[in-house]
Amino acid sequence: MSAVELLKKIFLVDLIKGLSITFRHQHPKDLVTEQYPLQRPEVADRFRGHPQLKKDENGKTLCTACGACALACPEKLIKVGSIRDPETKKKVLTDFDFDMGRCMFCGLCEEACPSDCLDLTPGYELALYTREGAELNREQLENGIPKKVYER
Amino acid sequence: MIQSFLQYLHSNVTPGEAGSLPWIVIYVLFVFGGVSVGVIFMNWFERKVMAHMQVRLGPMRVGPHGLLQPIADALKLIIKEDLMPENADKLVFWFAPVCVVMTAFCSFIVVPFGRSHAITDMNIGVLFMLGVSSLGVLGVIMAGWASNSHYSLMGSLRSGAQMVSYETAMCMAVVSAVMMTSMAAGGGTLSMIQIVQSQQQQHVWFAFSFFPVGLIAMLVFTVAMVAETNRAPFDLPEAESELVAGFMTEYSGFRWSLFFLGEYTSMMAVSSVATTLWLGGWLRPFPNLLSGATWNTAFSLIPGLTFMALGGLCFYSYTRMSKLSNTRVQSLGMAGFGAFLAFLGLVLLLPPVRSRVQDVFWFISKVAFFMYLYVWARTTFPRYRFDQLMRIGWKVLLPISIGLVVVTALIGVRQELFALVWR
Repeated sequence: MSAVELLKKIFLVDLIKGLSITFRHQHPKDLVTEQYPLQRPEVADRFRGHPQLKKDENGKTLCTACGACALACPEKLIKVGSIRDPETKKKVLTDFDFDMGRCMFCGLCEEACPSDCLDLTPGYELALYTREGAELNREQLENGIPKKVYER
Repeated sequence: MIQSFLQYLHSNVTPGEAGSLPWIVIYVLFVFGGVSVGVIFMNWFERKVMAHMQVRLGPMRVGPHGLLQPIADALKLIIKEDLMPENADKLVFWFAPVCVVMTAFCSFIVVPFGRSHAITDMNIGVLFMLGVSSLGVLGVIMAGWASNSHYSLMGSLRSGAQMVSYETAMCMAVVSAVMMTSMAAGGGTLSMIQIVQSQQQQHVWFAFSFFPVGLIAMLVFTVAMVAETNRAPFDLPEAESELVAGFMTEYSGFRWSLFFLGEYTSMMAVSSVATTLWLGGWLRPFPNLLSGATWNTAFSLIPGLTFMALGGLCFYSYTRMSKLSNTRVQSLGMAGFGAFLAFLGLVLLLPPVRSRVQDVFWFISKVAFFMYLYVWARTTFPRYRFDQLMRIGWKVLLPISIGLVVVTALIGVRQELFALVWR
């Protein structure tokens, strides 16, 4: 053992270093804790959370019922129901099922959508009381799930 | 009778010396109540400081900044079911926590919070203190034995061995401080009050006399007292990963909280021994260098001003707290607490109060320094292995402390001889 190391050991240099580190970290600016219900995390715009079907300004759905999302989905959890309008000869969306319970939020459906209708929003509070609650229908996807507001 | 009762307030001796029974009772209640409040505060303080060192917030919900958290915890512990293992030795199981708490509180009998603020002054004060606080080992071993559980037994054996082996180093460090008291005119003493007075006479805290002997002795004592009270990094008996909770494994609810109370009380007790022996007890900083009426007044204002400043801090954080309806009660509580502290500060500024209480303030702030050291060390250092612990105790601390005794004696003798020759 060299003289320097011996002196370091005698004067407890390592211990004092450790103490100084913990002492410095007491400063409130270092705090990383988030007081969750009062203070919500800010997620990125491109965060892939709760799915949503967008509407245009007139309240009509943007979905063209092409089914590209259903094809792109690796889990095959999207079901697009449509009928052909006899007048315009266009597909019209009837219902849209999205089983969020099996979803892994890969975002391939969102990328496949040609009309930017299907969107994974930054909504991250996805806790549910039942498994069936995760199976979203068109109504829920377009208007969002009505949130229950609890009094304190 | 009332006259003689009030007469005591004008004297400058402890109630034990004055022999006034009512004042002894009042002091006992005051000291024990104060220590209990200190334990409650310490619980909050430790969690808060530890959290901040670990870059967390700590308790925030119960009361403003978690101030009422220890009270909530205590309530929860009291209403918990009182469990006792079926094969436990009922009587010993019942008596173990009582023994721990009793010994911890007993040692406060001789702690001098000020010249007249001790329950009594014993001429064997330090010895009494060490003796009584080491009786706590008995409670720990009883708890481990009576629980009839392997974890408890192993834990209590470990902590028993630990407490006993660090006792020796601790006592040797104390001896070196006691030897320093004999440098003053009037000879050596074991009485806690006279130890502080001899520091005043020698114009130096013993931590700085015979530099660096006093400082090393204080360091040895500090390490030994952490081990003695079974605190991290020497908290082997409570090593969760190995022994669940050591001797406290089978205890729950109120009995467990008694152990908790005993642990924190004995922490404070040994810290106050260290304060008395090395940091000049109740003496304010620089009692001789900065003496005189002006300095006396200036220093006597500090306690009140400190409390006012704390109150101001509370108000400042009240203005910074969010005014949302769901935190309204908390921020109001913060403001109320600030007002309470400011009021206390005002009371402490009154001349009769401040002349009588400032000793206590200095003593408590020095003890608080040691308590902070406990928490600081707990957050920083990982737990030692049992053989490392024993090695530090017997192979490092004990030789150092015995060496300290010898060196103190040599330096002391040399100084005495010099004094003789010069005269």
